[in-house]
Amino acid sequence: MADSIPSATPRPEAMDRPVLGTLARPLAYVLMLGLLGLLAWGLAQVNAGPHQAGLAPDFTLTGYDGRTVTLSELRGQVVVVNFWASWCPPCREEAAYLERTWRRYQAQGVVFLGVDWVDTQKEALAYIDEFDITYLNGPDIGTRIAQAYRIRGVPETFFVAKNGELRGVHIGPLSPPQLDDKIEGLLAEDPDA
Amino acid sequence: MLAEIGWFALVMAFGLSVYATLGGAWGGARGRPALVASARNACLLVFPFLTISVGALVYSLLRLDFSLAYVADVSSRAMSNFLRVTALWGGQQGSLLFWAWLMSAYLAAVMLRRWDGDRDQLPYVIAVATLTMAFFVGVVLFISNPFARLWHNPMTQEIVSAVFRPAGGMPYAAQDGGGLNPLLRHFGMIGHPPTTYLGFTGFVVPYAFGIAALLTGKAGDDAWIRSTRRWTLFAWAFLSLGLILGGRWAYDVLGWGGFWGWDPVENAMLMPWLTATAFLHSVMIQERRGMLKIWNLILIVLTYALALFGTFITRTGVVGSVHAFARSALGPAFFVFIGVTFLGSMGVLFRRWKDLRGEHELESAVSREGVFLLQNLLFLAITFAVFWGTVFPLLSELATGTKITVGPPYFKQVTGPLFAGLLFLMGFAPLIAWRKQGLRTLGKAAVVPVLGSLAVAAIWGWAHRMHPASIFALWMVSLVLLLVLYEFWKGIQARVRSHGEPPWTAALRLVGRNRRRYGGYVVHLGVLMIALGFVGDTYFKQETQGTLAAGERLTIGEYSLEFQDLQSYPGSDGREIVEASARLYRGDKQVADLHPRRDFFVVQEQPVTVPAVYSTFEQDVYVLLVGWEPIGFQSTTFKIYLNPLINWAWLGGGVLIVGVLIAGWPTRATASELTYQLRPRLARTPAVGGG
Repeated sequence: MADSIPSATPRPEAMDRPVLGTLARPLAYVLMLGLLGLLAWGLAQVNAGPHQAGLAPDFTLTGYDGRTVTLSELRGQVVVVNFWASWCPPCREEAAYLERTWRRYQAQGVVFLGVDWVDTQKEALAYIDEFDITYLNGPDIGTRIAQAYRIRGVPETFFVAKNGELRGVHIGPLSPPQLDDKIEGLLAEDPDA
Repeated sequence: MLAEIGWFALVMAFGLSVYATLGGAWGGARGRPALVASARNACLLVFPFLTISVGALVYSLLRLDFSLAYVADVSSRAMSNFLRVTALWGGQQGSLLFWAWLMSAYLAAVMLRRWDGDRDQLPYVIAVATLTMAFFVGVVLFISNPFARLWHNPMTQEIVSAVFRPAGGMPYAAQDGGGLNPLLRHFGMIGHPPTTYLGFTGFVVPYAFGIAALLTGKAGDDAWIRSTRRWTLFAWAFLSLGLILGGRWAYDVLGWGGFWGWDPVENAMLMPWLTATAFLHSVMIQERRGMLKIWNLILIVLTYALALFGTFITRTGVVGSVHAFARSALGPAFFVFIGVTFLGSMGVLFRRWKDLRGEHELESAVSREGVFLLQNLLFLAITFAVFWGTVFPLLSELATGTKITVGPPYFKQVTGPLFAGLLFLMGFAPLIAWRKQGLRTLGKAAVVPVLGSLAVAAIWGWAHRMHPASIFALWMVSLVLLLVLYEFWKGIQARVRSHGEPPWTAALRLVGRNRRRYGGYVVHLGVLMIALGFVGDTYFKQETQGTLAAGERLTIGEYSLEFQDLQSYPGSDGREIVEASARLYRGDKQVADLHPRRDFFVVQEQPVTVPAVYSTFEQDVYVLLVGWEPIGFQSTTFKIYLNPLINWAWLGGGVLIVGVLIAGWPTRATASELTYQLRPRLARTPAVGGG
């Protein structure tokens, strides 16, 4: 029967083998302290928050089409830096709007940079194709740009003024007329301010 | 005025918690029953005071007292009363208060239970539990206070929130509140957070009993397990329900057609559930054979620790996810508490390690004990894999400077086989005898289910040749189903033969007399149904997308969607709705009229996609409105997911809860245990060995 009551075969007292090796306890403590240290470090990172002010962290983006651009070389122009990914549904919601707005403001010297975060080339190119995106989009190799801007996810859009300073971040997809308003505001700024 | 009362009640609750902690610890250490009784009363009183605080906050949310910063944050004129009440847990401060309140309810109930059998544990249970209580109430009171008011400084034109008036500040009331995040304005708001919190906070009870048992040297006994069995089951049931409701909610509002994304916060809920499930099973071995004692204590400590860890990463955003709470000073306080709890629990566990020696040896790997040991290992392995995947981004960023995110493929590949192993065990364990199982008898018992399931798998494989992995998965599910049904059949047969009862009566009596076992089997059936839902989601999902003009169709599988028209109109609580009308055809027959929508919340500037779903047992046809021409509404883009077998997951959840109710329902024998009393009987002799 699967459930017979067991008869006792108790362990004799003489068999008093050490239950834990001498290394196990200190190791457990070390691992625990290591985990706590990791969490403390993560907390410090989080409390720093996304970059929102000060000089925009510089970076060089190599697009999927081979073009290269460095942010600091765009001083004097308004730059919109958009972090996205092909697997990100909210990014799709703003993709068409971003492209339309880019085309509208292109002549006024506004630059759009699309930073593709944690993505695969094939899917990214399909996404760019799907939305007919013409501004520069490139992969964020090593997620260095994302980490410099301390993004927490996608989509996030950073606004860089003509003098190279960050003018805030929009977390989540942009809807009309948010992007237009922001760009108009930045265009109105004096580049030497 | 009301906010002040609420705040004052918080102060009282905090003071009482601290007093109870100190009184319990001192009273226990020095053998002062009167002090312990006083500590017990203090613990009991925390709940009424927190109820006052919660009541004050809910009333303020309903009445839209926009002078309170929290109300101005999460409530708004446009929200219905239902949403205003749920806004209690819609933001950081309120949800922390809600958490503390639920925990205090558990503690009050524990204080009221009969302590005759384990009075010596009482001081330490109080001390451990109220220490946690003091932490959470303290955090609400000092760091994340829902009763903070808005103050306007006319000099600097700033508006700040603070509990007490800052220098130069004038009282300020906002015109309207921000309102709940649109994703939270959903019926799921009444289900998922409360059940999840009831699950998480409930584990403080078995944890406190476990630590108390360690501290009093009674951990080798299984009294603490028997005392807390129903509490653990209760908390586990709610955590399970919370997981299921969370998945359902994500399915309804996040618009990606799935219900489990291996998001860090989802994982944070899953991990304590895994260890708690292992614990619920593993304690049976300690009760029967006095083995796996170390396992049981580690599992309960892990469950509680992972629950704390879970709420820590959710609230601080240390690992980013969909559940975004605003950053605050919460992090460091939580971190210290977690550090103290983890290290303290480890310390106590190590000091009393010798108490946890097993009473018997494992005689054979193929035995009931061996199978349960294996399930512990599997559950722990899955927990470790999920934990590793969750913290890996942090680790990689620290070590290499590059944040490597771990996505679903890792979790699925690593945990999939381990879960399959658990399913397998779930089916076979009841067939395996204690101490040693002969393989031939096992084979004889299992032959019908194995052959039956192979037949099912063969038929399935022949019909769906392109999905080989699914054949194995379906074989597993049908095998375990037959094994579980076999258990019922065996039991019913035995009763029919020995008592001459008709089968239905036999079935009812069988379950009624062995609630724990058969309730457990019903839970297993629920788990199988959920597994089936996962199988459908993993192997058979289809999707398609297309742009349609009016009258055009988009096909997926045997279904096609025909676009009729698009409407735009304002909705309740400040949203602009764009709604598509579409007809769903199965082959040539129309089966449904679907209305997928996109709601745009004007104030928050946030869109929410509302899918239209046609549900059957076979699958869900899940339709999303993805895009449209802004002028003229002529052509519209739809995305359709075909989600086979998904409704089995939700039904399975229901069956699981029924199973838990059966397993946990008190019998007449337990009724005497459950007598509650208000006034504790003071021990006449020093509290050793119980009353």
